[in-house]
Amino acid sequence: MVNGYVAASLQEALELRAAHNVVPYAGGTDLMVENRPGVAYLFLNKVPELKRITVDDESIRIGAAVTFTEAIASPDVPQLMKEAVSRIAAPAIRNAGTFGGNLGNGSAKADSVLIEFVADAKLRLVSLRGERTVDVDKFYLGRKKLDLGNDELIAEILLPKQGLEQYYYEKVGGRNALAISRVSFAGVFAAEDGKITNVAAAFGAVADTVLRFKDIEAMLLGKTLDEAKALKADYLRAYAERMVLTRGRVSAEYRKNVCMNLLGDFLTKFGV
Amino acid sequence: MEKISQSVVKKDHAPKVSGRSVYVADYPSEGVLCGKLLRAKVARAKVLRVEVPELPEGYFYVDAKDVPGDNNVNIVLDDTPVFCRETVEYIGEPIAMLCGPDPKVVERLRDACKVEYEELTPVLDLRAATEQFFDYNFGHGDVDKAFAEADKVYDEEFETGYQEQAYLETQGMMAEPEEGGRMFVHGSSQCAYYIHGAVARVLGCGPSGVHVLQDVTGGGFGGKEAFPSILGCQVAVAARKCGKSVRCVFDRREDMEYTSKRHPSLCRYRVAVKDGRVTAMDIDVIFNAGAYSTLSAVVLQRGIIAAPGIYNVPNVRVHGCARKTNTSPCGAYRGFGAPQTFFAVEMIMDHIARDLGVDSLAFKEAHLVKQGDTTSTCGKYHFPVPIPVMIDEIDKACDYRAKRAAYAKPQTGRFRRGIGMSMYFHGAGFTGSGERDLIKAVAKLRKYKDGTVEVLASNGEIGQGVRTTFPKIVAHELNIPLDKVYYSHPDTARVPDSGPTVASRSLMVVGELLRRAAIKLREQWVDGEEQEVEERFKEPDFMIPFYIDKFEGDAYPTYAWAVNAIELEIDTHTGLAKVLGAYGSFDVGTPIDYNVVLGQMEGGFLQGIGYASIEKMDYDAKGRIRNNSFSDYLIPTAKDVPNLKCMLHVEKYPDGPYGAKGAGELPLVGAPGAYLEAMEQALGGVTLNHAPFTAEDTLAVITKEGI
Repeated sequence: MVNGYVAASLQEALELRAAHNVVPYAGGTDLMVENRPGVAYLFLNKVPELKRITVDDESIRIGAAVTFTEAIASPDVPQLMKEAVSRIAAPAIRNAGTFGGNLGNGSAKADSVLIEFVADAKLRLVSLRGERTVDVDKFYLGRKKLDLGNDELIAEILLPKQGLEQYYYEKVGGRNALAISRVSFAGVFAAEDGKITNVAAAFGAVADTVLRFKDIEAMLLGKTLDEAKALKADYLRAYAERMVLTRGRVSAEYRKNVCMNLLGDFLTKFGV
Repeated sequence: MEKISQSVVKKDHAPKVSGRSVYVADYPSEGVLCGKLLRAKVARAKVLRVEVPELPEGYFYVDAKDVPGDNNVNIVLDDTPVFCRETVEYIGEPIAMLCGPDPKVVERLRDACKVEYEELTPVLDLRAATEQFFDYNFGHGDVDKAFAEADKVYDEEFETGYQEQAYLETQGMMAEPEEGGRMFVHGSSQCAYYIHGAVARVLGCGPSGVHVLQDVTGGGFGGKEAFPSILGCQVAVAARKCGKSVRCVFDRREDMEYTSKRHPSLCRYRVAVKDGRVTAMDIDVIFNAGAYSTLSAVVLQRGIIAAPGIYNVPNVRVHGCARKTNTSPCGAYRGFGAPQTFFAVEMIMDHIARDLGVDSLAFKEAHLVKQGDTTSTCGKYHFPVPIPVMIDEIDKACDYRAKRAAYAKPQTGRFRRGIGMSMYFHGAGFTGSGERDLIKAVAKLRKYKDGTVEVLASNGEIGQGVRTTFPKIVAHELNIPLDKVYYSHPDTARVPDSGPTVASRSLMVVGELLRRAAIKLREQWVDGEEQEVEERFKEPDFMIPFYIDKFEGDAYPTYAWAVNAIELEIDTHTGLAKVLGAYGSFDVGTPIDYNVVLGQMEGGFLQGIGYASIEKMDYDAKGRIRNNSFSDYLIPTAKDVPNLKCMLHVEKYPDGPYGAKGAGELPLVGAPGAYLEAMEQALGGVTLNHAPFTAEDTLAVITKEGI
């Protein structure tokens, strides 16, 4: 017997969340399969505040219960995010699966989370106590460990409005559909006045959390393309040393090989 | 298209697509006990003691001591126990079955059982395994002389892995004690009479003490040829002890880990070449049988008979063995031993051609068998071999020769392409004289007063369409509407034994019996009367008798033929291979239903591509299979090979109904050869020796070769 609470508004959802020991449930694409005995769910798919995609001065705000299919159809969601979520599973899963669920599941293989990492996304977390905004990389404390209180819900994902136009994305799955990522990579590049202003690189599905090394990225920031080219070998070596990958359905060696190939190709694509 | 080939709506279409079909798990649970197996946790051990928790009223513990007859399941030999003997021989081997009304309680009781083992060293390395279940030798010509006189000798080893059938419906059987003591066993299966024989022996009753019904079955692919006999015996023993109906339906992990899969293989080919021609093959085939022999004898026989491929090799020596390891017993899977050896022979022919500096296709064409030639077992290819025409059909469909030449040139850039081809047969029906000596198929037609006709045979519908194609043949011959003829799921209490649903035999062998029966009925037809006619299998006169002790004679009356081409593009950054096109020309004789046959060809070809590429399963150092879910063992979807083109080439077989031959297994068999040949070309002409060849394998070659 499944015990569940259906919330009709965010306020009601927060009250239920605070009052009961519940597992937040949006699309259920992971939870249905998991089918944990004796769990009470808080159904969030009817909460209008969590179903919206809005744009303000700085951010594109994607509600936690927005489905991947809805995001793909939205004119406001950046192309990079659309590309990543359009590779998730198959249409039926994308029709149900949500951004909040992808985050809340806590997996480094989550395809939308990779993009949130590379885009320096922020998450708005809410509870009856109030709300707070955290950087996505701070939200992930480890494998399946999240900085989310028992009374908190993920309300929105905040993506920067600009700066994601020049990107590089690749998903390596075991097959072309219905496949969990074995390696995923996203890179974002920007330059102004001939100098690199952003060279973000994130690696999914290769460790306990999505990997991003901002200190290595800093090697190339403020550099011209020519200067960056000269530093490329050092930059790649720094990544190769830093990336300690886990084995999963494929070996750690394979994962590293793919990561390094894609990282190199990312730079090449943008002239470095 | 001939009238008989024109497609109709399958008889089981509506109940299946509307969800009304009743599978074994769908029968009401009221009064039925749930059975769950207590399984071995180690690969090899003496079982010293099982501490069973106190059982609540209505709950039962069933083990070998409860077997009323013989604790051996009859398959080919009788070495598979119903419940383990003093030792367990693989991880997952059934020790006992816990039964009771509430599945959760049964599971809790099962998990509370404490098994005390004295662990023994398991045999897990196929190369090091010494115990052989079966060992066969055959050949012809003077192999040693040919090697002595050869210009060059090639010596290579080929390896293939497990393949899981991945039918949608897991294994499930149910046993119901009937009044008067008869045991009714039914469930997901392919061979009702196999189960019947096995259960009768285990219960120690005569054949009349049992009857077996095939329930609606959600796919088999060979995986439900022998395994349901084991599970059927287990539930029957449990039902006898409990005095109640017992049902056991596996969950997916249980099914993937512990039920039979395709045999992993290790094939060594030594080939002598003189003046640019293959003069001799000396072939050594090793199959990993797992812990019990189950179907390994017959799987191995089919594998080694196909070992020299479809090439005319004057001197042949074949040695084949099935070795015991402490792993899940392997069994039947579409292709039945032949995909392993056809892969090896296609690769070695390709490698020799490359070494000789000639094109692989031209080299293979120069060695092709033709009508009248001798088979590997000194039988005869009695009928035309349409391979040359089929090669041309494939060439036309994908511009094979031009692409093969273009991709052979040095390639640069991130993406590289290759195309490869394989050609092969599938021997139709049981190997050797099995149809004549073992099966002796009988089929009947019963006409009712209202003019409807029922097909009485034991072949099960497993998606291949026999509930439609059997009636189609009968309706055609009687010249009555198709809806006047029907074929229900076989129950051994009311149908004769027309043999198992295996070996691509049902349509060719039993379909022909039904055609002849229909002619008989037509000749005797009297309106308003109930009538019954019967036909029995007769071996065609042209057959050269087969002797299994010598592997001599016609192993098959005829062959289904195929040519496959696969074109792919690899990503040198990730090792991922994109199949740009897969092209198959298949000769299964006259298709009895075009859509049914085409569906079989497309599905089987895709399964073969999975076998060649992504379907990787292995056991670890303890003998445990880790790839036990659909997220750890991936099979291809339509998205992986969107450009899949199957064509039918019709070379009629005079002794099959309207010229039909065996169809079911053919499309899977040749994919690994074509896939790996394409992969070799995309990787700049490397030599590859194993399947599946995964993205990880591809990237390893790219890194090693500096591509």
